Formats: sequence, C-alpha cells, structure tokens
Amino acid sequence: MPDGTILGIETSCDETGAAVVRAGRDILSNVVASQIAAHQPFGGVVPELASREHLRAIVPVVRQALAEAGESYASVDAIAVTQGPGLAGALLVGISFAKALSFALDKPLIAVNHLEGHIHAVLLDHRQEMNFPVLALVVSGGHTHLYVAEVDANLWSYRNIGHTRDDAAGEAFDKVAKLLALGYPGGPIIDRLAPQGDPLAVKFQISQMKHPDRRNFGKAAEQNVQTGLHFDFSYSGIKTAVLRYVETQNMKASIDARRAALAGIAEPTIEDVLKVCDRQTLDLVASFQRTMVNDLAAKTLAAAQEYDVQTLIVSGGVAANQELRLTFTREANKCDLPVFFPSSMLSTDNAAMIAAAAYPKLLRHDFVAMNFSAEAGLALR
Amino acid sequence: MQSASSGILGQGSPEDVSPLRYTGVISGMQAQTITHSAEETIAFGRELAGEILPPLLVLLSGDLGAGKTTLIKGIAEGFGAAHAEDVTSPTFTLVHEYRGPKITLFHIDLYRIDTERELETLALDDLIAPNCILLVEWGEKFPQLLRDKNLQIDLQRVSDQERKIRLS
Repeated sequence: MPDGTILGIETSCDETGAAVVRAGRDILSNVVASQIAAHQPFGGVVPELASREHLRAIVPVVRQALAEAGESYASVDAIAVTQGPGLAGALLVGISFAKALSFALDKPLIAVNHLEGHIHAVLLDHRQEMNFPVLALVVSGGHTHLYVAEVDANLWSYRNIGHTRDDAAGEAFDKVAKLLALGYPGGPIIDRLAPQGDPLAVKFQISQMKHPDRRNFGKAAEQNVQTGLHFDFSYSGIKTAVLRYVETQNMKASIDARRAALAGIAEPTIEDVLKVCDRQTLDLVASFQRTMVNDLAAKTLAAAQEYDVQTLIVSGGVAANQELRLTFTREANKCDLPVFFPSSMLSTDNAAMIAAAAYPKLLRHDFVAMNFSAEAGLALR
Repeated sequence: MQSASSGILGQGSPEDVSPLRYTGVISGMQAQTITHSAEETIAFGRELAGEILPPLLVLLSGDLGAGKTTLIKGIAEGFGAAHAEDVTSPTFTLVHEYRGPKITLFHIDLYRIDTERELETLALDDLIAPNCILLVEWGEKFPQLLRDKNLQIDLQRVSDQERKIRLS
C-alpha cells in the first residue's frame, strides 16, 4: 500500500461510475456513464434498464478510469465498491465485477455504503477544514438523511438523527416536475426555472417533526435507547399540495399543452421548457422550491444546534441545487457554522466518493470477504 | 430497444415467467371505511394486518397523496415488521423489504414502471414465498396483477384529512 491508490466502482442506481483516487484526496480520474438519457422516456430509473446499462458500461468505464489516471489493474492498491443501499440488480453488477478484479489481481476488496460515499465526496475537497462532530445532510432522489459523523483513528461512525418519513426531497422535485410536465430529471429543471418565478406567490406548509427517538421495537432496542431529538422530514404533503393547486387553479389544460409541445422536441433544452411555461407555472415552481429549500435548511440547522456540531456538510444530488446552496450558506453563516458542499460533479452519484470513503478502511485493513453481497436496504452506522 | 436481458437477476425470458399464484385468505374486514386522519389510516392498516395471511398479493390504488404509503406504515407496524416512521416511499428505490418475526413485507412502487416487460424484469414471482406479502402501489396499470391479486385496496381523498378506503 505505497500511497493508497484505490479503484472505486459505483453502480447503485442510474450511473455507472469508476474512479481512481489516491490517499482519499487526489482524484486521478472520475468517469461516470449517465443513464439519464436512457431513462428519459420513462420519467425515472427503470431497474432492468439500469442493470443492463451497467453491464454494458462497466468494463469501458473502469478501463477509461484507469487510463485517465495513468494506472493499471496491477498498479492500484485496492478495489472499492458500493454495497448498498440501491437497486439489488444494479448493485450486483458493480459488486460482481469488483469481486472478480479483487480475486484475479489478489488485491483487497473494500465495501462502501453509498451514503457514506456522499459524505466523503465533500471531504475530497475540504478534508483539512473539517472539525468534528460533523452534521451531514444527504439529500437525493432516494434519500433524505441527517447523520452526525465522528472519526477516531480512521474509524468513522455515523448516527442517524433524522430522515424522511415518506418521500425523499429529490423525489418531490421529480414528481412535481412530472406533474407539471416539465421533464426529467425534475430537480435540475426546477432549479433552472425557479429564478424566473415569484417564490412568494404560493404558500405551502410543511409539517414540523421534531421528536424524541421513539423507536422501541423489541427489548434489544429498549436496552439501546439513544437520547437526543430526531429531526424528520416529510415531503409527501407538499407534493399533494401542488397537485391540489393544479386542480383548483385549473392548470390541467396548460399542462397538457406543455406535455404535447415538449413531446415534439427530441431533447428539450431549458429554453424550450421556459417557452411553454406561463407565469402561474413559474410562480408555482419557484414557490415549491423555496418551501423545500427553506424546510431542509431550517431542520438541518436546528439539528446542528441541538447536536452542537462543528461543521455542516450537504451532499447528494439535491445539493447541486443553486437556491439550496445559497440558503444553506446564508443560514449557516448566521450561526458561524462552516458549511461545505461537494463540487457539482461530486454531488450526484460517482465513484470517486466511493474510493475516498474506502481510504480510511484501507488504512484500517477493513476488507470484505468474497462472499459479501449487495444489501439493497443497507443502513449507515 | 433490445430484447430482454437475463441472467444478472436470475430471471428468464418473459415466456418462462409463470403466472403469479397466491392463496391468501382475507376475512372479517368492513368493505368500506372512512378515516379522518393519517393516524386513523395507520390504525386501519394495523387492524388489516391482523386479518390477512401470506402469501398474498395486495394492490393499493389511489391518486398521488391518497395515503397508500401511509396505510402501508400501519400494515408494517401490525406485523411488527417496521416502525411507521421507517416506512418510506419506494418510488426511486422501487422495492422496500420489511422483515417481521413471522412475515416479510415487500413494499413495491410501480409509479415509474410503464410496460409489461419492465414489470416482468422486477421478478415479483421471485419475491413471493409462503411467508411473504406483496404490497404494490400503482399495480392496477397491469392486467396480470389485476387478475392475480388477492386483495385490492382503493384509497380516495375525501377532504384534506379524510380518506375513503375500500377493500375488494
């Protein structure tokens, strides 16, 4: 292990990723084959498509990552791969490939939790600036989780202190975009449209759910009672509220017209979408985004105060949202809390974050045996 | 589009997929009820859990925000498979699994699945076992699931808080 050069592989959802990262810090390459184009006609991630696309992409993506890094199968020190959470079939493509490499090359194999990867995406750029404990908000299409992270002698530990009770934040963005016939993926489109509307035009309420940890299933759990408040999210209600608004404001006809207009364009640009959005739609989109971002920021900062953390991290696909970055930066500054985001490239799913999260495990010789498998519902601890 | 892939998930070609078969029994529930809050919907789900036996295919239908996931929170609690707070939307993740002491629940969301072939690749057949209950959202889009279901639950929004729940 001369310098800890790790080949990372990520196939948990809709991106096939491979990257080479040295010492958990230097990104030598970071290749992502996005499947969003393949998914666009379906308005989302389709599992069989996902698996098939991963199978098609995995070999060239890994080869390209090695070539761009100036490394070879023989020269890397370890193979790291996402174990979960994610789609079982998609995860298996990456895991099977990583196992084969590890076996054939006689290199250690490291399993990484996808959510831990998102947290370490931020450390790639800001490792020196982290003071612990860190509060991390991981916010994407499938996840909205708050973790308090600590590290002791390269052993990272995570405590979940909040999560969505129903829909993830990114899911709400996508469902609202689909509801309004704006296209897929919904998050980036709403992000681009929102500045054109009035964010105060429509009032939405999001329920507040701060509560003591009530999980008390079985005796084992009772003996392991954790103290401290939970800060849960809920974004099913605002999705329904947008639907009600569309119905009560009679927006169906204009939505149908937009759907028909955009269906005639092979790859609609944001300008194409903007052309078929009226003032009412733009105001609705802006108000929806403002409400989402303010709720995420308010709950995260309340949790930061409750747990007296030293640093705030916001990661995951929704962390690429411009209004979210501005709002978190402004609100964290008010309480003198440093806040860090991954670069845009590292916000969405990628393999550099997996290789980065694997580095402390490499230092600890925390390797997995060949019989480890995908865990679709893997929890982060 | 290419033809169906096979192998990675252990699934064969569409012709190999046998019809879904379930033998579960339902008894003693009122065919229609009105709940007046999310808490009541969850309580109804808990009660329902006491009345259904695996293996079972349950379809849940209703518009966005009708309360499908909310009802499943109650069913999962009723089986001791998960705390209501931990049952979340599987729209992106597609399949969530909750293991209780006796029964495993699969919470499946077909919101993003549009064709029969995509449905077949989810291999729902492989999920059904003697101790399993499949709770499927947006399953009514597929004639095969409508035909093979043991129970259909329709949820309808009556007002902000009220939901009409029908079992058939």
